[in-house]
Amino acid sequence: MELIWFAVFALLLAGYFALEGFDLGVGLLMPVLGRTQEGRDRMVAAMAPFVLAGEVWLVALAGTLFGVYPALEGEILFGLYPLVVAMLLGWVVRDAGLWFRRRLDGAAWRRFWDLMIALGSLTLSFGWGLALYAVAAGPGVSPLHPVGLLLGALVTGLFAWHGWTFLGRRPPGAAGVPRPGRDLLVSGALAALPAVVVLAGGAPYLLEHSAPSSTLSVLSVMVLPFAPVMVAAQVWVWRTFHPGKGTDRIPSFF
Amino acid sequence: MEALDLARLQFAVTGGIHFLFVVLTLGLAPLVAIIHTRWARSGRALDLRMTRFWGQIYVINYALGIVTGLVMEFQFGLSWSGLSHYAGDVFGAPLAMETLVAFFLESTFLGLWIFGWGRLPKWLHVACIWLVTATAYASAFFIMLANSFLQNPAGAVVKGDRMELVDFGAMLTNKALIFSFPHVIGAGLFTGGMVLVGASAYRLRRRSEETEFFTGSMRVGVVMASIGISLTVAFGYGQFGGVQEGKFNGAAGVPLGLMMEGGNLFSFVVLFFMLPLIRSLPRRRWAHPLLMALTPLPFVLAILGWLAREVGRQPWMIWERLTVADALSPGLTTGMITTSLIGFTVVLGLLAVTDYVLIARAVRRGPRDLALGAADDQCAPALSL
Repeated sequence: MELIWFAVFALLLAGYFALEGFDLGVGLLMPVLGRTQEGRDRMVAAMAPFVLAGEVWLVALAGTLFGVYPALEGEILFGLYPLVVAMLLGWVVRDAGLWFRRRLDGAAWRRFWDLMIALGSLTLSFGWGLALYAVAAGPGVSPLHPVGLLLGALVTGLFAWHGWTFLGRRPPGAAGVPRPGRDLLVSGALAALPAVVVLAGGAPYLLEHSAPSSTLSVLSVMVLPFAPVMVAAQVWVWRTFHPGKGTDRIPSFF
Repeated sequence: MEALDLARLQFAVTGGIHFLFVVLTLGLAPLVAIIHTRWARSGRALDLRMTRFWGQIYVINYALGIVTGLVMEFQFGLSWSGLSHYAGDVFGAPLAMETLVAFFLESTFLGLWIFGWGRLPKWLHVACIWLVTATAYASAFFIMLANSFLQNPAGAVVKGDRMELVDFGAMLTNKALIFSFPHVIGAGLFTGGMVLVGASAYRLRRRSEETEFFTGSMRVGVVMASIGISLTVAFGYGQFGGVQEGKFNGAAGVPLGLMMEGGNLFSFVVLFFMLPLIRSLPRRRWAHPLLMALTPLPFVLAILGWLAREVGRQPWMIWERLTVADALSPGLTTGMITTSLIGFTVVLGLLAVTDYVLIARAVRRGPRDLALGAADDQCAPALSL
């Protein structure tokens, strides 16, 4: 049972990197590729239907951390206190930018929130690199080690590239050059790679600190029956908002 | 102030802001689902516009519920690692279910509903908003389950220096849960109903051209508020059977008393004034300022209720098992908590004010040029892609 829950935990972390990675990447690219307001609107519209279904992977991951690894939850989050606070604020500001940017007319309003989306995405992407290093290096190590900074830059670069291949799947002229869907799978897998490596290294430690079997049984009975529904809901999102369906004509809510 | 007080203040501030938006979400989600279903059956243009207008209010409100919820979830690990160390094997389970099942599905289906206008078949689209409602209520249930465990740790025993889950059934039938959950749901319906009433009163008082639209909305709101306040009051009193002695003797007695007085008074206004006059109320313009003035009060009462419940638990984090002082993360310094308190309070406070301004503007603008559900032919130029 510990193995099943480790697999769930690993899938959630890797899934977050692969599925939310391109949303953060698009956010990172907004000041670079979206020089005009219209360009940025197109970029946000491209990722908008996927953001809500992507960021929940991290919400679910944190819940699983609490439920399955309660002994580590406080240790990891508290150990990275300033970093977690900064990443949370980045996440909050990025989300607020998406929800708010079209709620008022006015160029300055939208430009401000577009900047917040970019800054929030940068804080989260770079923060993930630092966090992965700090978790792998063990307690008491500052994330601001040269290796941590390097990993921060690497994750940021991977997310940006993943976002770029995502934008490439849109119809010609929407953003970037058209690219086949296979590229997105490759960039998604590479975006998830840093998380997978750290997970592989930390697997024995995580398994050792699993919650007792009575807790895991309750979780299994309550959660696992819904797993097919959760997968189906995610697949439904991808089928509905597939870029090939000519749905880009409909104005975006974000 | 010491780190403990600051950490409690941080949880109270973020939790308070969170619930202001969540309580409205719990009320508006079923309202929007009902109106959307009505449109799917009738095909009337008025029902469509009502779905899009109130849906847009619901969605603007939802944004703050999400971002404050993110901060809440991580705060357990940041400030209260003593809780997960001592009782994580028990307390973590409902939180995991809330995030892993309920919120995961809620957010996914909400994305499908918001962006699915014009893309999903009609009845599948209706199904999405009902699934959002169902999972939102499941979320509320698991959070209340976790909170009720803190109020009354049923179903768990202390083994060594940790608590262990022995009887999940006892956790589900916790006497601190069975009346408080419907109480919270009732408060949500009541708040959502009163927001419809207050916003409609504002529009009707200004003699807006949308008389039919806001007359219908006000009546729906009055019905929902009546159902909500009845549930809230009934299950509010029902809770007293299961409360530990002395819980509300101290500081918690003040918010509790205010909430009960306010709730009783409000139930008289709703059940003996608004409900009997439901046919004519939209025309009685003299009553509209009163209805507008009443709109913020359900939010105040909801916060008072939470204050009573949470202050009444002090000094315990888990009743008679773990104190809040022992639940504090060891090594949390005043500097750390001050910095994060300022950061979260300033950012979430500004966003909350912004969100309310946006909701007020959406009400003032009325049901025209709505972004939610806009097709490319009917969208205002400023909003088109």
